[in-house]
Amino acid sequence: MSETHYRRMQDLPSTHLLGSGTAMCAGCGGLQAIQVIYDVLGPKTVFVNAAGCMTLLSVYPFTPFQGSWLYTSMASAPAGAQGVRDALDLLVAKGRIPPEEDLDVVVLTGDGAACGMGLASTSGAIDRGLDFLYVCYDNEGYANTGQQTSPATPHAARTATDALAGGFAGEKKDLFSIWAANRPVYVATAVGAEPVDLARKIEKARGLSGPRLVIVLAPCPTGWGFDPAESIEIGRLAVATGVFPLKEWEAGRVVHTKVRRPRLPVERYLERQARFRHLFEPVRDEAALAAIQARVDAYWESVE
Amino acid sequence: MYRIRLHGRGGQGIKTASRILGSAFFSEGFEVQDAPRYGAERRGAPIFATVRAAREPIHERGVIARPDLVLVGDATLVPVAAAGVLLGMAEHSVLLVASDDPPEVWKQRLRLAGPVRTLPASDAERGGLATVGTACAAAAARLVGVIRRGSLESAVRAELADLEPVVVERNLERALDVFERFAALEGSVREGPEPQILALPDPEWIDLPHEPARTSAPDIFGGLTSVEVRTGLWRTLRPVVDREHCHRCHWVCTTFCPDGAIRAAPDGTPEIDYDHCKGCLVCVAVCPAHAIRAVPEQEAERGAGEGAG
Amino acid sequence: MTRQLLTGNAAAAWAARLARVDYVPAFPITPQTEIIETLGRWIDAGELAARLVTLESEHSMVTAAGAAAATGVRVFSATSSQGLLYAMEMLYAVAGWRAPFVLVNVSRGIAAPITLEPDHDDVLAARDSGFLQIHCSTCQEILDSILLAHRLAEDSRVRLPVIVNFDGFTLSFTREPVEIPDGDAVDRFLGPYDPENVRFLASKPISQAVAVMGGGPYSYFRYQMHLAAEAALGVYDEVAAGFAAAFGRRWEAVETWHCDDAEIVFVMIGSFATKARDAVERLRAVGERVGLVRPRLLRPLPVAALRAAVAGKRGVAVIDQNLSLGRGGVLHAELASALYGQPDAPPVLASFVGGLGGRDIGLEEFRRMAAETRAAADAGRAPPPRLLYTSGELRELRKLQGIAHAERAELRRAAPASSDPEAS
Repeated sequence: MSETHYRRMQDLPSTHLLGSGTAMCAGCGGLQAIQVIYDVLGPKTVFVNAAGCMTLLSVYPFTPFQGSWLYTSMASAPAGAQGVRDALDLLVAKGRIPPEEDLDVVVLTGDGAACGMGLASTSGAIDRGLDFLYVCYDNEGYANTGQQTSPATPHAARTATDALAGGFAGEKKDLFSIWAANRPVYVATAVGAEPVDLARKIEKARGLSGPRLVIVLAPCPTGWGFDPAESIEIGRLAVATGVFPLKEWEAGRVVHTKVRRPRLPVERYLERQARFRHLFEPVRDEAALAAIQARVDAYWESVE
Repeated sequence: MYRIRLHGRGGQGIKTASRILGSAFFSEGFEVQDAPRYGAERRGAPIFATVRAAREPIHERGVIARPDLVLVGDATLVPVAAAGVLLGMAEHSVLLVASDDPPEVWKQRLRLAGPVRTLPASDAERGGLATVGTACAAAAARLVGVIRRGSLESAVRAELADLEPVVVERNLERALDVFERFAALEGSVREGPEPQILALPDPEWIDLPHEPARTSAPDIFGGLTSVEVRTGLWRTLRPVVDREHCHRCHWVCTTFCPDGAIRAAPDGTPEIDYDHCKGCLVCVAVCPAHAIRAVPEQEAERGAGEGAG
Repeated sequence: MTRQLLTGNAAAAWAARLARVDYVPAFPITPQTEIIETLGRWIDAGELAARLVTLESEHSMVTAAGAAAATGVRVFSATSSQGLLYAMEMLYAVAGWRAPFVLVNVSRGIAAPITLEPDHDDVLAARDSGFLQIHCSTCQEILDSILLAHRLAEDSRVRLPVIVNFDGFTLSFTREPVEIPDGDAVDRFLGPYDPENVRFLASKPISQAVAVMGGGPYSYFRYQMHLAAEAALGVYDEVAAGFAAAFGRRWEAVETWHCDDAEIVFVMIGSFATKARDAVERLRAVGERVGLVRPRLLRPLPVAALRAAVAGKRGVAVIDQNLSLGRGGVLHAELASALYGQPDAPPVLASFVGGLGGRDIGLEEFRRMAAETRAAADAGRAPPPRLLYTSGELRELRKLQGIAHAERAELRRAAPASSDPEAS
């Protein structure tokens, strides 16, 4: 492992750059991850945002950022990043701003934008070799509008648009593989509940140039149905059960950064969330639980 | 027309309460208009709802400028200016607050001309069951005096139909209990006076001056203005650090607080920013030494200074 | 200064070059693609110090344009029709960012049915977005208007993006003599881009385009855009006067031809307005007192100038090359609302819709429009709106419908001599 500032939790800062007073739900897993991310990236950044929960980080006249921010639209945050990045490069190249005024460009979107209408603009940005970091906070649904099913919703999750019976019948879209297939510079998954792993990945991404994309699982008390206090525990269980693999892609190679052996049964993760309660009550749906476990097992068998 | 406003926080069932009241009025033959008002989906954030009921079709809309009755499901909202709990209270307006404090205390606190009623929490509510919305709707039903017990019951059943039967029964039990408790005040809320259109003050229209974009662009020229929003007011439970048991572990709670509301003092002791702590209690859950406990907000306020960050 | 034959697209490219634009986000669409190809060649040859980037859609292209302008550089882009509409969400958004730039729209009819030929439905769909609009009728005007547009957009009192519109095919691919201004003179006229305080710098954190909750604050921001657009009328006159002083060509917000003693005037925008001018001159030559009013600015709408231009006229024929389906010609409705209740407003305002999808408007049609408007003025009553279409065109269409097996009773009743396949 190359040089990193983050070996232990003690290496994380104890005061945070991102201001408090934002309108995110109490216990928001996405916000917790962004605390870590912003501390690593710092204020010499401009966050370019697509419509989603985090759009409400800044509501006039309140902003939690010590750096800069631009809200664009749901589908085109990477294109906004393109415009900002190109303009900053032009200003520096033409000597109209000194290099110390330059900023890193960071796209921040939810899974709804990333996995759906934002795929085109992300694809284009990677094609053009845009030098930017893309952070996707994945709360597995269109959370800001009430947790409707998004392409990132996992199998059997109940959502506002898959509210009955077995929940969402489809499978979670593999955004990691889609991004990797576009051959950017770096792709990773992370979760705020594993903050050192997250910090190292952001630090690593920051040190690279070109398109770098990170998916951060964002446990959502409001949308997934658990007490806000359990937000970190849910994130830990997602990793410990193997449901959410922590990994990196670089130059065609995938490396898993945290592998739990043996993995906890997926039930330990599912049973904590109201969106999966129908798998346990009024009776256990053994077939559905076994299918979910089998899918997770198959993934890990394929990589180990 | 009855003009009624309900205030609470996201997740407390205020919208449902407005619909219970609206449905109850409707089944009594009234024309009804009920609507919630909130920003984005945010558990804990202030919301309000309006209920209008009249014998004729209702044409007016939007915020209720002069309520006949204001129900407050979460007393911590009263001091929050942005929640607008007391907006438009007139002499005839009745305020009902879900609170264990007696009405006289509230009346004095708020210096209101009109009557103040309170709705003490039930034991179940103190134990965490969220029926305060239903309780408010039931109180309102009795206070207006034109809703019968049976109509209230069917409205509760109808509006909670998607919930589990045991939850419905608990809500119904609470509703009917409250309905009985307010028997003596039946009819004490009356349809208020209609707005006298000629008597209303002139709207102070101006010709908005054109201001160049450097002033009028929708931008925030600077950072960190969010700290002026006291999200600490969302809290109903407060985390309190027990310094004796805190290991100064460096630093689980400061890392995992989603709002970044905990920082470590130079000696490693966590300091909680109570102006902004939303009371999610993640810190309570993650502390390896179990050195943080949750204290009800009102209790914490009374014991001021305890564990202050 | 050099006078050359240039297509409208080439003239547009020259204007962007003279304006020393920094950034050209692009996406190809007929009939504007030549603009970006020309700029791309100049950039590669080192003749223009700019960056051209092809985005993957016009929605992204306009996002990138606004974002670059909001960062602090001079931006130019171009699109048309379907592309403009695909970007429509972002037109509203970037206008609200108050970061100025110039977007050329080469007008083309909108699907469905899909076509390549020009009309004004596309650009008029953007009229509420916050973008200002300048409409050109010659290739010279295109070059000049783009320079004017950058000055106008960037003025502190305005700070709104500007669409410069010209017709596909009749201008985009048609060469006309164009005077290319001297680069130094343009530098003096335009100056460098000043982002003012809407920009990204590490030392000046800014949160741009943030959410605004509450009707009061939201209304403030929207009203201010409107007030800025209205202020742009006065700013335009200043800028146009400066342009005239520097380059000798005067481009009024509203051009008029032979209106002083006209009884009947045409109102028309775009390249076909020169056909109207041609018709006016020929009608004048045979004794008809007709004139032409050609608005160049549509947003803001030069209401006072339009009122003055048509005041006291007996009748006005508004010729719309657009069609608001279910309502009629857009310019007709806009002019009517500007004139209602005004003293000296002409008593008859006639609506003619033509030129959709590039349909020609013949001299004889201008003659007849003038005649019908005059007759209506005599009768003291506005005529019903007319969609310009001839019996000859319908006959031709029937033949096409026959080939397309369109279900029509008339086709089946057609005489066998017409060799109509449906007639058997």
